[in-house]
Amino acid sequence: MRDAVQDDIIKQFVGLEWLDRYGLLISFAKELKPMDDKFKTEENSISGCQSKVWIRTYREDGKMIINLDSDAMITRGIISLLLKVVNNRSPQDILNLDLYFIEEIGLKSNLSPARADGLASIIRRIREVAEREAN
Amino acid sequence: MTDFKKDFPILEKEVYGKKLVYLDNAATSQKPGYVIDTISDFYRSDNSNIHRGAHYLSEVSSEKYEKAREKVSDFIGARDPAEVTFTAGATDSINQVACSLEPILKGNEVLITGVEHHSNIVPWQLAGAKLRSIPMDSDCNLLTDSIEITDKTKLIAISHASNVLGCVNPIKEITGIAKDHDIPVLVDAAQSIQHLPIDVKDIGCDFLAFSGHKMYAATGIGVLYTSERFSDIMPARGGGGMVDKVTLERTSYLNPPLRYEAGTPHIAGAISIAAAIDYMQNIGMDKIRMHEHDVYSYAREKLLETDGVKVYGNTEKMCGSISFNLDNIHQYDTGMILDKMGIAVRTGHHCAQPLMRFLGTEGTVRASFALYNTEEDADMLIEGIEKVRMMYA
Repeated sequence: MRDAVQDDIIKQFVGLEWLDRYGLLISFAKELKPMDDKFKTEENSISGCQSKVWIRTYREDGKMIINLDSDAMITRGIISLLLKVVNNRSPQDILNLDLYFIEEIGLKSNLSPARADGLASIIRRIREVAEREAN
Repeated sequence: MTDFKKDFPILEKEVYGKKLVYLDNAATSQKPGYVIDTISDFYRSDNSNIHRGAHYLSEVSSEKYEKAREKVSDFIGARDPAEVTFTAGATDSINQVACSLEPILKGNEVLITGVEHHSNIVPWQLAGAKLRSIPMDSDCNLLTDSIEITDKTKLIAISHASNVLGCVNPIKEITGIAKDHDIPVLVDAAQSIQHLPIDVKDIGCDFLAFSGHKMYAATGIGVLYTSERFSDIMPARGGGGMVDKVTLERTSYLNPPLRYEAGTPHIAGAISIAAAIDYMQNIGMDKIRMHEHDVYSYAREKLLETDGVKVYGNTEKMCGSISFNLDNIHQYDTGMILDKMGIAVRTGHHCAQPLMRFLGTEGTVRASFALYNTEEDADMLIEGIEKVRMMYA
């Protein structure tokens, strides 16, 4: 099923040269609110990424609030997009999501487990949390 | 200047609409058409198992395989081709030595350096040995005067050139010290075999390991040189092709090198190493080394001149790799933008986490060079770095 937030992201990326796509990712990275250092703990870190990634989640009015941060800009850009799509939804909503925007904006290779930004690990972790919360 | 690029079909490729600038040669080198054709010709017209069949094709492939061994033996200055074993790669070579020497190493100590690749760390740990590093200064020069050898030291295992920094270790000095204490030395030549002259007799090492794929040959093939002094160590692997008599009670082994090559080897791979050596020797090893030295020095100097670039390691002799970081930019971010400009580098810890801790960084950007790289490639890298800086400004 198409999703308005993802469609809007795709619209911004489609037709851009590769370098411009990454330029856009960097501008999304700059929009992402940094995580407070006190939450950047070993426990909150996601392994499997060349850059460091931290995750923090909590529930608010039945919705899941997810904070993500990274020490690399490109990873921040990608997670900034990811959060636009997954944040503020119910756990079941998150589990039902088809994250098709990743492939459509040309980041599919970032999903391979070998990729250094560990996007696949990040998504897996979000789904695990959502699954726990949904039950 | 001769254009070697034309010999390598893949280098004509464009990536992301940009001409490919391949600077990830320490990970693997590209293959010249001559090597690709040799592999393809082997499967088209010679393929058969070796040392086994009583038929024409088996004889042809056995001869080519053994000729490849002789070529490698000459290339590294071995006394006898029997000192050359084909393995799956440098990692496999080192693991085989660790496995064979396990009874001696267990509970004892292997002396390494602080720049080692994980493949010259983990196999020794698996064999139950403790590791100790030869001290080095902040530029990664080994402090050979501070080498401490104890009763527990049973092996010195050192890289010839660092896969991260390009620093060349004084291996002859170390084999000299080892000889005084009658301790065997293993040299990991994975990052030097393609760049520097290697003569195992001159070096005085007992084991030398390298991979085919970093010297323009196939992946999945490597070499382990074992000096005749160690020709009776137990094989790490058992199986067909390495035995004399087998009963359920006892097995006797063939002499080296076949003793160490259980199972069907990577025949085409071994032949590809011979083809790669032919390719390089046809150009001329001196000519290659001079060209590589010029390009490497040029690239390094350019990087050192560039503001906001930190270059790691500085030894008298260097080859292959250059590691650096841009101020305030994560190495991964640098690599991603360079990639989109068609420039292939590697980022991360390069399988050398202890070295990263020594350098005080999570990772680096590594540009690594081969015989086909040019000063123009180095210029493209510098241009790429400027672009990276602009994009993250």
